[in-house]
Amino acid sequence: MELRVRGDNTYAATGGKDFDNSLETVLFIHGSGLDHRSWALQTRWFAYNGYSVLAPDLPGHSLSDGKPLESIEEMGLWLADFLDAAGVESAHVVGHSQGFLCALELARQAAKKVKTLIGIGTAGAIPVNPALIEAARESAGKAAEMLLQWGFGNRSHLGMSAVPGMQPIAIGRQIMSKNPLAIDLQACANYLNGDEVASTLDVPSHLIFAGQDRLTPLKAGKVLAEKLKSQYTVIEDYGHMLPIEAPRRCLHQLRETIAAFNPEIS
Amino acid sequence: MSRSSFLKPDTIALHSGYVPESDHGSRAVPIYQTTSYVFESVSAGSSLFNVEQGGHIYSRITNPTVAVLEQRIAALEGGTGAICTASGMSALFTTFITLCSSGDHIISATQIYGSTATLLRHTMKRLGIDCSFVPINDEAALRDAIQPNTKLIFCESIGNPGLEVADIPQIGKIASESGIPLVVDATFATPSLCCTIDHGANIVVHSITKWIGGHGLAVGGVIVDGGNFDWQASGRFAELTEPYAPFHGIKFWEEFGPSALAMKIRAESMRDIGAALSPHSAFLIIQGIETLGMRMKKHVENAKDLVEWLQSQEEVSWVNHPDMDSNPSHAIAQKLFPKGAGSIVCFGVVGGRAGGAAFIDSVQLASNLANVGDSRTLVLHPGTTTHSRLSPQDMIAAGISEDLIRVSAGIEDIVDIKDDFARGLRAAKRVAGDQ
Repeated sequence: MELRVRGDNTYAATGGKDFDNSLETVLFIHGSGLDHRSWALQTRWFAYNGYSVLAPDLPGHSLSDGKPLESIEEMGLWLADFLDAAGVESAHVVGHSQGFLCALELARQAAKKVKTLIGIGTAGAIPVNPALIEAARESAGKAAEMLLQWGFGNRSHLGMSAVPGMQPIAIGRQIMSKNPLAIDLQACANYLNGDEVASTLDVPSHLIFAGQDRLTPLKAGKVLAEKLKSQYTVIEDYGHMLPIEAPRRCLHQLRETIAAFNPEIS
Repeated sequence: MSRSSFLKPDTIALHSGYVPESDHGSRAVPIYQTTSYVFESVSAGSSLFNVEQGGHIYSRITNPTVAVLEQRIAALEGGTGAICTASGMSALFTTFITLCSSGDHIISATQIYGSTATLLRHTMKRLGIDCSFVPINDEAALRDAIQPNTKLIFCESIGNPGLEVADIPQIGKIASESGIPLVVDATFATPSLCCTIDHGANIVVHSITKWIGGHGLAVGGVIVDGGNFDWQASGRFAELTEPYAPFHGIKFWEEFGPSALAMKIRAESMRDIGAALSPHSAFLIIQGIETLGMRMKKHVENAKDLVEWLQSQEEVSWVNHPDMDSNPSHAIAQKLFPKGAGSIVCFGVVGGRAGGAAFIDSVQLASNLANVGDSRTLVLHPGTTTHSRLSPQDMIAAGISEDLIRVSAGIEDIVDIKDDFARGLRAAKRVAGDQ
């Protein structure tokens, strides 16, 4: 569906069903250079099983208009405005990588909007090599190539796919190379407060990490879990792109975590 | 490296799409010879039908063995996804019918395979889909042929059997400027000689019966979605951008983006037309694709030797191959096929049609049959076989003369191929002498 947020047309996937803000809402936030399609294999299940789903494209990404936001703090505030525009008082918030940094900032700046926090393939800070940001400024496609090489685990590099016949690396390349990757990466690099913010939050949470994650290593994720006082799950044999690489296992964990706070739906 | 994988092509051909992981650790790709798949529960079955998760339901739509081949070919071509079909022709028909409806229009190159020409000229027309045939490298003719209802531009990367090389970068540019996808049948090239998507194709089709299989054991086809066409911006494809009723109003472009076409083909055309590749055929073709790179090197090497040798034979009237200076599309071939423009060689012999027939009836190692891309050398007279349904005028437009002999150079020792052809040329000379 399309919403007007701060005067700009904003696209949000709703999992194939009309959005109904009277239902429990699950908000999915994509990572750097990506879009709502990262969540294709999670959103439809929630939409067809008693929840309402919102998976927006951040401003200036894929199907959303607007100027790309330059800091994680701004993205957090924008998400609060986005939820207001959708008429959502509070949501279960799921973020992948940079998307979880945005979720932390949403929780910090608009605590009432967040019922549950779930992070996938993330950490309290996501340092980005300046050379990668520079490469992204010159060519999003070139930087996307580096990110995809590091981002996917061994199975994906061997051409495995959760959807028969598909090649996720090529799909990621097409999406990332057309989005404002350099701005996203710079925002990640600048955001150093994730662990500190996490330690101030009082919200139920769960983190899902990948055993082969080379972009947000498990060690950094565990520090975040400690600060957030959060349980965590490690999915071995997969890389940073968990929602795409291991969609069924991510969905299972999301269902378990969110259902624990909504026993009437589960 | 392709757009889909960081592995090199020869590694992709051996590994992509399969990791030994079953209870038995089978190193080879297993044959999943099954029609259907047990659902873990009612809700799990419902989830699969509702595209909430990936997985297998019924082998007309997907099959684990076929999926390995699809992912391997997609990785070699640099596509976002691939769908295997029962034959190369069904891959073409499935592509055309997914993109076109009654009242729509296709532009096709004149120099194409006879059955494809018949499909476009007669069968698609019966469904209300018109086709204009143009000399595909004539920029003005191509631009003039574009209509508001044009849904795709089609060509073969190397035309069969005229061996005209399509200027894919130029055609792709015109197609892109007009918001029309470029569909390329790259059977004669294989991804080993050219990654067509890198040069501007949006959809690549192969008859995998040919070089990709290489053994002549199984018939099959494949459609590769390049993922590089913006169906929304084009404004011509409501089928992909507007709600699709049979799937609860799903909008393929919004939902799947760069893999929208592949998903639409899977969800609609494989369901409704059902031209699925059998798992056993997929297994056989996987055995072939694993050695594609090595075989293509030898095919191209033998074709090159054969071209040089034929040119020096007095019984040979003319020779055509895109790597020859005399081929009108030679410059394009050099640009698109730096490793060599395939292993199809065409030539004429003294004695015209009768001489050609004598040649084909006399060779003993080469097989006279209607196929190309087998590891064994094959010969054919297209005018009386594959292209016999074309009118004399259409034959000329397709680049076919009465004396044309089409050779698919195999990977035997070139000395034996030349000995065999020398026998055929002597027979042609005898016929010419009698005339």
